[in-house]
Amino acid sequence: MTLVRPGKEQPPDTVQFRIPLEMTKCDVKNYLEKIYNVPVGPVRTRIQYGTNKKRNHLNQRVKRPDYKVAYVQLAQQQTFLFPNVFPKKDVAHEPGSMDEIQDKFLEDERQRQKPDPRRGGITDWFGF
Amino acid sequence: MVGILTCPAEVNASSIPAARSKRYSHFDWLLTVALVELEYREKLSSHRSLNNMAAPMRLPLLPLSKNWLKLSGLQRAIHSEAVTQEAAYPPVIPSYTAKSKSAKKLRETVYHDRVRNATSVSEKLELLTKVQRKKYVVYPQTSALNADRWYQHFTKTVFLKGLPEKFSSPCDQSVLSKIKSIVVNGILQERFYVKKKSPFLQREQEHFVRPFMTNLVLGATSALGAENPQLSLSRVDFDPQVNFYWMRGETTVPRGHRRGRIDPIRFQIDDQPHSQIRIPQQLEEFCPLESHASDNVPVITLGPDRLPLFTRQYDNRIFTGSKVMDPCCYGHTQFHITGGRFKRSEFKQANAEDQIEVHLRANAISSLFAWTGAQAMFQGFWSKEDVTRPFVSQAVITDGQHFSFFCYQLNTLALTVETDKNNPRKNICWGTESMCLYEELRDGELVGVNENVLTLLINFLLNRSNTQ
Repeated sequence: MTLVRPGKEQPPDTVQFRIPLEMTKCDVKNYLEKIYNVPVGPVRTRIQYGTNKKRNHLNQRVKRPDYKVAYVQLAQQQTFLFPNVFPKKDVAHEPGSMDEIQDKFLEDERQRQKPDPRRGGITDWFGF
Repeated sequence: MVGILTCPAEVNASSIPAARSKRYSHFDWLLTVALVELEYREKLSSHRSLNNMAAPMRLPLLPLSKNWLKLSGLQRAIHSEAVTQEAAYPPVIPSYTAKSKSAKKLRETVYHDRVRNATSVSEKLELLTKVQRKKYVVYPQTSALNADRWYQHFTKTVFLKGLPEKFSSPCDQSVLSKIKSIVVNGILQERFYVKKKSPFLQREQEHFVRPFMTNLVLGATSALGAENPQLSLSRVDFDPQVNFYWMRGETTVPRGHRRGRIDPIRFQIDDQPHSQIRIPQQLEEFCPLESHASDNVPVITLGPDRLPLFTRQYDNRIFTGSKVMDPCCYGHTQFHITGGRFKRSEFKQANAEDQIEVHLRANAISSLFAWTGAQAMFQGFWSKEDVTRPFVSQAVITDGQHFSFFCYQLNTLALTVETDKNNPRKNICWGTESMCLYEELRDGELVGVNENVLTLLINFLLNRSNTQ
């Protein structure tokens, strides 16, 4: 049973799981209530078919496995927002290190590639 | 096609062939197009007047005689008043049939004008509900979580706790005792005196509550007929059909040959309350039309799919419970019975005690919005012709033991994206929490009868309109 980030936006009280194909709605509800003590409202499930269209280097069809998705609504007005698992970090390198020299060089390169701001966005094949 | 244009110059929308049968023939379509183009050209040309255009003259080369002006008739032309001519060029209007945005706008304008100029209410309703598309079916009694917030968003309703002050006045003791005896006898009859078979599973309310409510409604209306003469002129329907169809919000079509196009979101409510009372005059409004404009209606950015609501395509029906010509066209009170799947014990078992009140509120908001909306449409109002006076109705929702009272004021029908842009009006719903009528039935007697519930019920039924 895996908690996943929803592909389409869900209401704040809905949590999305990938569960084994053999598991049912009642199983999901009991699992969450008894093991994790989460108040669970209605649970809705669907089976996602995995494509059999892709082919490998031997031109054989490769099946992506099917999986079951469960949408669990939390009871008692609880909400859940899937966290940002890969937040961007502003890394401050120590002065004088190789990383800092590299970052500076890359930033200079980027600045050199940008057009002259005094031209006001006009391309350089205009003019004299 | 030119040979068909033998119609008179004055063409209005009513002369466009009305649908005698559901299927138009190609001939009818061509005739419609031709008539519409002719009408719009006539209208536009009457507004425009081109500058006087003197026809280019050619002077004769031969020497002019003294009378050449008179002979050629130019004298009259030069010295007479400027002649206003009909427009020499046809006016530039968008095509009716082209695949363009302006053509679509023109088609919509023509359609709206046809609805506006419809001669009767049934013709108006037919034009508005003719085209069937996929629509979300809104069930008043639903177990969806937080359905009341969603329904408030769909119907642009503000929910206020408690009832307006006029219902908190105490009532006469004799009247109270009369109604109390009706109620107590009704409950005892169904639960104690009559020997019944065991009820069907999840249909207990049919066994016990329905017959009690029937007796209560009939008994109370006849008992209070002396106090409220309007009740004696009212009509009581049992198991009426109340249907309403409306559009709110827009969505982009995700897949299919119409992918990427913007469609309005359509809704349909098909409700069947236990009973309803209809009166010939409108109930008095609780507050002015533009009030509560500052109150917030919950806004939900997600589509109705996520509630979950499901789409179907079938007859778009708008119905109050009786046909358009009925003199008792205004609503007074509806009585709803909840139970079966929606028993209080079921909610408690499913870990959802807070959803009991949500379920009742959602039921009230959707049922009353459908009823008042249908009443308004039966008077000829629709989203482009918004209501000029508020439509008021009441509802009582019960499961036999617990009663909750709701009243609704419909201030606006303009819920589509276009009509809602500068519309400060909101529909308002007042409601109570569920109150116990009695605590338990012990040894053939009702213990702990709550007189507040009876007072509220009496005040609800005694509510009348001020107009004579």
